[in-house]
Amino acid sequence: MKKIFPFGGISLATVVLFFACSCLLRSGSTDLALQAQLVWGTNNDKPDDPKLKEVDAKVTERLRTALKWKNYFEVNRQNFTVHAGTPKKVKMSDHCEIEVDNFGNSSIEVKLYGKGKMVVKKTQKIKPGELLIFAGDDKNDTAWFVVLSQTEK
Amino acid sequence: MINHETELRLQAYLDGELSPGEAKAVEDFSNSDADARSLFEELKLTKSLLAENELEVRLPESRGFYWSKIQRQIEREEKGQASEQAETAATSWWLRFLAPAAALVALAVLVVVALRAPKGAEALVALDDSHEIETPLEETSSFSFQSEAAGMTVVWVDSHRE
Repeated sequence: MKKIFPFGGISLATVVLFFACSCLLRSGSTDLALQAQLVWGTNNDKPDDPKLKEVDAKVTERLRTALKWKNYFEVNRQNFTVHAGTPKKVKMSDHCEIEVDNFGNSSIEVKLYGKGKMVVKKTQKIKPGELLIFAGDDKNDTAWFVVLSQTEK
Repeated sequence: MINHETELRLQAYLDGELSPGEAKAVEDFSNSDADARSLFEELKLTKSLLAENELEVRLPESRGFYWSKIQRQIEREEKGQASEQAETAATSWWLRFLAPAAALVALAVLVVVALRAPKGAEALVALDDSHEIETPLEETSSFSFQSEAAGMTVVWVDSHRE
C-alpha cells in the first residue's frame, strides 16, 4: 500500500525544523527596548529646578510642530525592555506610572496610571523613530507628557 | 479374468495408439480370451455411442468472426484495466505530492499568524495600525491625534478639572 505522505521521516524533520525556526524567530524578535520620558511643557522660561533638563532638540522640535508649548523639560527618563507577554510597569513620578505590554511586531499596549488608577489604555504599533505621547494639562497653562519611543540600537 | 494392464492395452488398441506389432498381439489375445473379447466389444460400443451422440454446438457466426469477438473483448478488458491503473497512479501522484505541499502551506500560514500575534487572538485585533483607546474613569476623557509630519501619536487625557 502506498503512503499518502511519502518520505515520512524527512517530512517530520522538516516540520520540526520549521517550528523550531519560527520559535527562534519569535523569541529573538519580540523583545522591545523602549524609552519613556516624563516631560513638562510650558511657554515660560526654564524655572530654577536642577532636576529639570532640556529635552533633546530634535524631540523638542517635533513636539513644537504638533503642540502649542514652546519649551519642554525632562523630569524623568526610564529605559527598559519589554518581553513579549510580560507586561512591564515603570514609575515615572510619585503619582504617575505606565505599564507596557509587548504584543510583538512592534505592537504595544500602554496603560497610564495616575495616583494608582488606570487613566487611559492605548494599543498601537510603535515604529523606530516614532513617538507615542500621553499628555494632559497642568496648572498655569502648562502640560505634562509621557513620551514613549523605541531606544536606538 | 483380465488384469488392469490388459484393460489399458485393449483401450489403447481401440484408440489406435499401439504399434502394428502390439496391435496384432492384442488382437490375437482378444480373439482367444472370452473376457478380453467381451471387454473389447463393450469398449468399442461405448466409443461408438460417445462419438455418435456427442452434442454438437453450432456457432451462430463464422469461426473466424467468433474468435475475433473474443479477442476484441480481451483487448477491451486489458485497456480498461490499464486506464484504471493510470487513474489510480494519477490520484496517487496528487495525493503523494500535493498533500504534503498543502500541509506545508497550512503550516506556513500558522507560523505567520503565530509570529504576528504572540499573545493570541486578543493581539490579532490590535495588530497593524489599529488604534485602540480606552478610558475607564468616568471623570476622565481622552482623544488621540496623529501627526505624520512629526511622526508622533498624542493621546490627550482630559481630567475635567475646573
